[in-house]
Amino acid sequence: MTPSPFRPKDAPGPEVLETHRPLIRSLERRGLLRHGLSLGALVMLTGCDVKQPEAVESALLAVSRFNDRVQAWLFDPNRLAPTYPASRILRPPKFNAYYDITQVKPVDGQSWRLEVSGLVSDRHPWTLAQLQALPQYSMVIKHICVEGWSYIGGWSGVPLKTFLERVGADTRAKYVAFKTADDYPSSIDMATALHPQTMLALDYGGDPLADPFGFPLRLRMATKLGYKNPKWVTAIEVTNTYSGGYWESRGFSWFAGI
Amino acid sequence: MRQLILGLVLAGFATGAAHGQSATPGGMPPPTGMSLAQSAAMRFPQPVRVGDLLHRLVLRPVEAQTILGRVHAVVRDTQGEILIVISYGGFMGFGGRPIAVPADAMALLGEDLEVVAFTPRQLTAFPSFTGHGTTVIPDDTTIKMGLAKPSH
Repeated sequence: MTPSPFRPKDAPGPEVLETHRPLIRSLERRGLLRHGLSLGALVMLTGCDVKQPEAVESALLAVSRFNDRVQAWLFDPNRLAPTYPASRILRPPKFNAYYDITQVKPVDGQSWRLEVSGLVSDRHPWTLAQLQALPQYSMVIKHICVEGWSYIGGWSGVPLKTFLERVGADTRAKYVAFKTADDYPSSIDMATALHPQTMLALDYGGDPLADPFGFPLRLRMATKLGYKNPKWVTAIEVTNTYSGGYWESRGFSWFAGI
Repeated sequence: MRQLILGLVLAGFATGAAHGQSATPGGMPPPTGMSLAQSAAMRFPQPVRVGDLLHRLVLRPVEAQTILGRVHAVVRDTQGEILIVISYGGFMGFGGRPIAVPADAMALLGEDLEVVAFTPRQLTAFPSFTGHGTTVIPDDTTIKMGLAKPSH
């Protein structure tokens, strides 16, 4: 039989199996299909050498960064995400984190302070009471997780735009970055930070946030996937320096728009 | 139209980053020697209306999220323990039988519930629920149940 004319002359050698043995051990049928399709598409699109893991990772990150730029270009700062009636609020909301529920470490609301830094004119830390005294906003929106599940939640708090105006933020800056009590850094683009459905959430369903859901303060956005909404926020920085985020540093999309 | 076309293009460029977000499994069973009440207390019990629990799916805390049954009723036994009555087993929603599982052996997972303290084999050995010695808890009663994170 004549070999296919499309067969590569430089086929991978058996050492490839040894190089990737830990990965092969972790393969599952669904993962094989999913990743096989992605890798095949990637090779065709980029011509990268799959025998070099660094080349594959670099190509994947390049595509992800391209996706981020396209999503930022498509983002309409005035377009609102769908909202829902209060009767559809899930009580309590769904818990998720990169660790188990039993490892949640509650934050003391009395001693908690929200630090502010970067390109702002007022860097004084905020107490919970001071934040509660700012104009509040409520929204019932869908939380959409990258894992495929979703739920409808009712959130109240301070629009991030309002807060940024109060601290004299330079809204020409590129990013707003967040630090949290559970070591889950995150950052978003300024356009999303100023979107009317982006808030520093203090309440859920009419009650203060419960401990597992980010008390005393978490970020909630209607226009990004769930993992872009850090809980237990302790610090906000307005900056032109990209700082990524917990999952972003592990290969997830940074923009993560819905 | 611009968004539709670009969306299709980007779908073709998908980089397969949608792995499960969770780095650890969700509904972990309680440690050996710990009571159900103690383990439930570690799951940050949250208020939930009984009526909102009815008909919810009950899942097994594994990546496949196997459906074990649906919530049929919430009752209290003579010792005051809250039990979740599940239509358990069967096939395609038919042929199941009711069993009563302690609420402390279960956890809320968003719109679903999980049985975190018993395996399907153990549940199969549960006696069929007859209602004897229990009182149905009214729909508008609020109880507390622990939480779980997704298992995928």
